[in-house]
Amino acid sequence: MHQISKLAYYFVIVLIILSINFSLPRAMPGDALSYLTDPGADIPVRMTEEKREILLAYYGLDKPLSEQYITYMVGIIRGDLGWSIYYSAPVLEVILGRLKWTLILVGTSTAIYITLGILLGATSAWARGRKRDMGLLISIISISSFPSFFLGILLAIIFGIKLDIFPISGAQTAFATYSSPLEEIFDILHHLVLPAATLVLSHIGGTYFLMRNSMLGVLGEDYIMTARAKGLSERYILHKHALTNALLPIVTMTAMTVGFMIMGTIFVETVFAYPGIGNLLYNAVSYNDYPLLQGIFLFLTIAIVGANFIADMIYIRLDPRVNHE
Amino acid sequence: MKKTVLILAVLLCSMAFSASVLAENDGVAAMDSDKTVKMAGGTPGGADWGYPAPFTFYPRGPGYSRMSLLFDTLTWKDADGVIPALADGWTVSDDGKTWTFYLDRNARWHDNELFTADDVKFTIEYMQDHEGEFTWFEAINYINDVQVIDDYTVVIDLNAPMASFLVDIAGNVPILPEHIWCDVSDPRTFKDDDAVIGTGPLKLVDYDSAMSSYQYEANYDYYDGKLLVDEFISMEVGDAPAALKTGDVDEVSFWGSEIIAVQDFKDNHPEFTIVTGPSFWVLQVIFNCDADDTKGYPTNILEFRQAIAHGIDRDEIVSQVLNDGGIPANTGIMHPDSIWYNPDCAVYEYNPDTANDILDSLGFTEKNSEGIRQYPAGAERSGNVEFYLYTTGKFSREAGLIQTDLAAIGIGIYVSPSTWGPIDDRLKAGNFDMVISGHGGISNPQIMRIPSWPASTYQNSEYDSIFTAQEVEMDLDTRKELVDQLQEVVADDLPVYTLYHPYMWCVYNPEVLDTWFYTRDGIGIGIPLELNKLIFLARYGDANENGEISMQDVTKMERMILELDDESDMADANQDDEINMQDVTHIELIILGRAPIRIG
Amino acid sequence: MIEGRKILGSIGLGILTIFVIVAVFAPYIAPHDPHQMYRPMEHPSSSHLLGTNDIGNDILSEIVYGTRVSLFIAFVVSVISMLVGTSLGLVAGYFDKVGFLIMRVVDVVLTIPRLPLIIVIASFIRPSIWNLIALFLIFGWTMPARIIRSEVLTLRRRYYIDATKMIGGSDFYILWRHILPNVIPLVVVQFIMEAIHVILAESGLCFLGLGDPVAMSWGMVFHYAFECPIIYVSDVWMWWMLPPGLCIVFTVLGLTFVGYALEETFNPKLKNPFGGMER
Repeated sequence: MHQISKLAYYFVIVLIILSINFSLPRAMPGDALSYLTDPGADIPVRMTEEKREILLAYYGLDKPLSEQYITYMVGIIRGDLGWSIYYSAPVLEVILGRLKWTLILVGTSTAIYITLGILLGATSAWARGRKRDMGLLISIISISSFPSFFLGILLAIIFGIKLDIFPISGAQTAFATYSSPLEEIFDILHHLVLPAATLVLSHIGGTYFLMRNSMLGVLGEDYIMTARAKGLSERYILHKHALTNALLPIVTMTAMTVGFMIMGTIFVETVFAYPGIGNLLYNAVSYNDYPLLQGIFLFLTIAIVGANFIADMIYIRLDPRVNHE
Repeated sequence: MKKTVLILAVLLCSMAFSASVLAENDGVAAMDSDKTVKMAGGTPGGADWGYPAPFTFYPRGPGYSRMSLLFDTLTWKDADGVIPALADGWTVSDDGKTWTFYLDRNARWHDNELFTADDVKFTIEYMQDHEGEFTWFEAINYINDVQVIDDYTVVIDLNAPMASFLVDIAGNVPILPEHIWCDVSDPRTFKDDDAVIGTGPLKLVDYDSAMSSYQYEANYDYYDGKLLVDEFISMEVGDAPAALKTGDVDEVSFWGSEIIAVQDFKDNHPEFTIVTGPSFWVLQVIFNCDADDTKGYPTNILEFRQAIAHGIDRDEIVSQVLNDGGIPANTGIMHPDSIWYNPDCAVYEYNPDTANDILDSLGFTEKNSEGIRQYPAGAERSGNVEFYLYTTGKFSREAGLIQTDLAAIGIGIYVSPSTWGPIDDRLKAGNFDMVISGHGGISNPQIMRIPSWPASTYQNSEYDSIFTAQEVEMDLDTRKELVDQLQEVVADDLPVYTLYHPYMWCVYNPEVLDTWFYTRDGIGIGIPLELNKLIFLARYGDANENGEISMQDVTKMERMILELDDESDMADANQDDEINMQDVTHIELIILGRAPIRIG
Repeated sequence: MIEGRKILGSIGLGILTIFVIVAVFAPYIAPHDPHQMYRPMEHPSSSHLLGTNDIGNDILSEIVYGTRVSLFIAFVVSVISMLVGTSLGLVAGYFDKVGFLIMRVVDVVLTIPRLPLIIVIASFIRPSIWNLIALFLIFGWTMPARIIRSEVLTLRRRYYIDATKMIGGSDFYILWRHILPNVIPLVVVQFIMEAIHVILAESGLCFLGLGDPVAMSWGMVFHYAFECPIIYVSDVWMWWMLPPGLCIVFTVLGLTFVGYALEETFNPKLKNPFGGMER
């Protein structure tokens, strides 16, 4: 019962967001073709009223709003997200082309920052109040105070320009010919290092603190005291009890963060010229590309709501204390 | 007799030359050390210009230029002006309505099919059927009819004389292969490999929208010159100067205030070559000139606009915001590097005293405690003379300077930056006082057309009639006089007050490719970019293969033929005191027994 | 641990005090008028300690005045968010039916992809300080409302609340006298988190070019530095990009230290104090 009402609840939320998504670009000044006539471009496109109408009709933007709304909703159900006006390609194709890179970036850095965060958080909690704990705590608070774009630029200057050991732009060497797949993977990883490092450093704080706090909580619980009193080794206690129990909130938090992170990469993408969803959204906004804007929002909404839903489910599964109403 | 010998000898010579070109090409193709040229295609988020097929590139200059590497037009432009491309030569009837094009007999499509006059006829009719979908231009409806005379002769009939025909249509419309496009019903969704088959000097190998990169390879069978490169790549870079220095790319370009980076190359890296070019771009203040006082007051008063012009220090904007990476603009809009430039337009010297005097004489005499003037009693508006200055975010620094300048003459300005959309809405509705906006393509007089030129509120029937007259005027000098008049009207009436023209720079590594140049009046209809397909070609007639047609090339050939010691008159076939492609083609045409070129 | 908490808290307070002083006395501290133009792109010298920018403004003076803008936005957004969030949280926690409605709105707002929506709206509105503030407020009130509500839900069950009710205390009296004082520590911590969030979010928007170019915040100074074409290939970044960046970092750091110290004091079972821009 609980799960069904949850599903219904998410359904309503998605519906609300999709509607906001539909109306927002249309409520904003300018229309989907106004970017075409920006005279400030290197060469302005001359557009007569007739030509404008032909194009609006071509994209179905001359129809009444209600009809457009229905087309939009039906399209989503059928998996047809429409045609991007600026990119002159199916929205789905445009998004998928970039999503690949966003997922590589987000996936790698999430895996790394979670692992590191857990290790460091556990280390810190175990040494609570001692020098090691304070040292870790202060360094991580400090790193987390950096806006991710600032961190990225510093890394680019130090490792990309001064030391010149990592590339500072792109996800892959353009049209390189590789002698083996391994070489290609290496090339991709080489380009991934700095952007991923930036994301790891700017996100590690969350996991670290959560881990440290849950560990501290768990370590204070009676059963750990008992275990200690039984004379079990610290390592054993850490593995058997503390770690297992502290992981739960981390799983939840991670699931909830990933959805937001897909967009949060926009700063890293801007600094490192990394292809991704963030910059795509920025361009879609700049060019008033309604269909693309809607498509990206749909993806982000699905990612965020989906991650929330998964987090809920995991929580119910993992935590025996949550009662199943 | 001497002439016949000459012609025969030229014929032999060009055949030998072609043969050697072909032979060398085979050699190049077989060689392992392929020459690749990489160009920085833009900054993050802005290096993707769309699939380079005629209907799918993004409607911006860089998109068109990437398409134009694959597709040829009837005519093209080099550093000196219009040159033959798919058309070897052309004639125009005296009424300016009938154009006959003699097509190149060696041109082939990338799939090895022959290019013929049918393709030209098909293209124009296809474009007319899909009106509006080729977003790049609107002039296709000027064409009445296309007749194929034979495989290599095509006649285009216009509804009315069109002075800019050679540039705006012949030099702009990419010719499509009929055998591919005849089955395509929706060209905007046609993105097969076939969609990029053209006659151009390069062939598309790969395009990646997400990575914003293009990969081209040489079309060794190209009909109009020898390829200087084997591969060309346009890619996104995070930081252009760094990418050039590390050798990630071989060419980058800069614009306006980016002169800082150009200066850095000039001072610290002499191994790179710098070419300066005109941007054909102007930044301007647009005034609301609506005669209806409820909308246009007070900027619809000519003297008020003049006072503002005298109150804006354009030199300061150029030196502080552009870092001297440009020049104060021609008040008549057309770019000083264009042949249409009128140097005698009215100039409004920066002088706050003059501005103050004008404003005083208009009755804006009362000032509040902050020195802001008050509207005269009984005027359309009352209170402080204050209004919004709308602009896109990137010109907010210019707007800030104007705000300071105008405060000194008692006019209060609130700077309101936004994206283009909201400004576009305001311009269309006439709901503004002043807007700062740029305008590109000011090497082409067609840009002076009022509706396309964002001074929607300005009405002047005399101006409109001059504009229409120049559109159909086939005589270059007369047309130039008319365009001069248009510029004087703009400079006197000030519907817009132009601020500056920025420069552009192309910085490249000459060891990789040394042929970069800026096109006369811009690529196609006026794109001010350095990516002209000619940079990849050593054209016929380039005897010493320096990538430029010069006196030496033609003379060298003549000396060989006639065993002459002196330069001959023959070198300058059209007698314009310059040696260019036309001269060479002229000679070729004489040999082939065709009519000579007439430049419109 | 108490030691560490106190030290970090004092360091944080110290940093914040310095920035507040700079903001308040900016006209006396800044060596030049930030709008005055000198020779562009000057390297640091005795007359321009951090050199001049691309249009010849003194960078140090820009940063000093930028402190005002950055702190002002953060302060105003946080104060209003707390006022609105706390009131709604109190009401939602105390009155069940209203509470249900408010919480559903909170749920929706929290699920909307926040950063993309901010980017979309920010690129269409006029990027003035007040519009930015309004934009952040759309989202700012939700987290405090949710957290305050759950705290109120627990507080309500306390015996003295029932006792007060029995002797005829009005709902308003109970909320004002008994519940509000108990949630104040939470509100203070939330205030700091919101301030951190706004500082980072504002600088992020500026970095993307969506800030207010007229009111130079630290983020805008940073944005123009990043736009400079030789920022990577010369030493310019050291005096143009690093200082505003570090100002942002130190403000966030100061706030975090204070927030951390407070949270450890009020609530040893603390939650993580980091809500990055992407939330």
